[in-house]
Amino acid sequence: MTSILGQILWLYMYGVLLAIVSISIYGVVVRPHILKKIIALTILADTANTFMIFIGYRLGATVPPILTTLNPSPSDIATFVSSAVDPVPQCLVITAIVINMAVTALLIFLSIQAYRLYRTLHVKELSRLRG
Amino acid sequence: MASTIVLFVLTLVSVALGATAFTPSLDLRPLAEFYLENCLNQFNKDLWAASPEAVTSMLWDYRGLDTVYETTVFFLAIIGSVAAFRFGEAFLRSYEESKRKQRREEGLSLIVKVITRLTFVLIVALSIAIALHGHLTPGGGFQAGSIFAVAPLLAIAAFSRRFVEEFGLTKNTCLAIRTTGLITIALIALIPLLSIALGFTGVFIIQNQPKPWALQPSFPGFPVYLGPIWLAGTLILFNVAEFLTVASGFTLLFILLSLPEDFFRRLMGK
Repeated sequence: MTSILGQILWLYMYGVLLAIVSISIYGVVVRPHILKKIIALTILADTANTFMIFIGYRLGATVPPILTTLNPSPSDIATFVSSAVDPVPQCLVITAIVINMAVTALLIFLSIQAYRLYRTLHVKELSRLRG
Repeated sequence: MASTIVLFVLTLVSVALGATAFTPSLDLRPLAEFYLENCLNQFNKDLWAASPEAVTSMLWDYRGLDTVYETTVFFLAIIGSVAAFRFGEAFLRSYEESKRKQRREEGLSLIVKVITRLTFVLIVALSIAIALHGHLTPGGGFQAGSIFAVAPLLAIAAFSRRFVEEFGLTKNTCLAIRTTGLITIALIALIPLLSIALGFTGVFIIQNQPKPWALQPSFPGFPVYLGPIWLAGTLILFNVAEFLTVASGFTLLFILLSLPEDFFRRLMGK
């Protein structure tokens, strides 16, 4: 079923996501500015979400996991089960997106407050300000 | 530097190993198959969620407890942000009073203002439609709330913070709406447990539909439809409450972010 082109595209997508993960981990760990760390963290979270949706794909799936009728017959349900994509990763991702937004907002608020108090967001200089 | 590289390689290896097991296949995982089969299976109502939308029925029924705790995380994040930016209403009023004289005409140009007036109504209408149809079509409380929060953000950018506050969306109103939404979610989740007092058995937290293994009298469940309107039990109630929570929570954050820096400097006595 999987053609060679399909497998190449799969590996390409996988490689792109891994590359973005590595860049964002570099941003979180190495960059000294807190704002850049936050940006890298959101990229990391979004990549993880894309990755989850990516592995939830099903070959030959044609419909989203939504029944189009409120009165389905057994054959409707059988067609639905045989043609819908996996709903579990989508459900996990929608939870992760909202938490990611809320946590990003909290981080931004805390870093604005830190900037007001210390006039810097550089982690080396922030760590020097003790007490 | 060496430790950074080690951390880097370890993370990449773990991510890569975790993903190698999953390649696209023709078959679903058994768990996903169960959800797709049961979400609106009217011939076997033992495990159904009464919603044609598999994702929403998982989010608020099968994995409902997970979503309630996720809402708790959301609550804590917003409360933390508000606590970091805390100030008294009287202080803000006296600040506004002192700045009134030097205030010039506010906001962007007339074109932007007219377009914003139009899109404001459209965005709010769209978000309400998504929240009310969350159990029938893609979307739900989270998505609708995030869409709604764009409208005050646009209004703050095009007009000013005072324009949004004249609409009634002040800091305290947003906090009140958000608390109402959270209390509604908690109440709907606890109603099955509270029904033990009425003598019902076989209930559990965040129960939507009645379960066949419960002894009589079993919990009757929430209404699936009201005349021609499909309600899907708790799902529409949860979606609307979550819409209120998320929409007012993000609006609150945007209002706080749009307060002038000068105000906070004066607040901290600098």
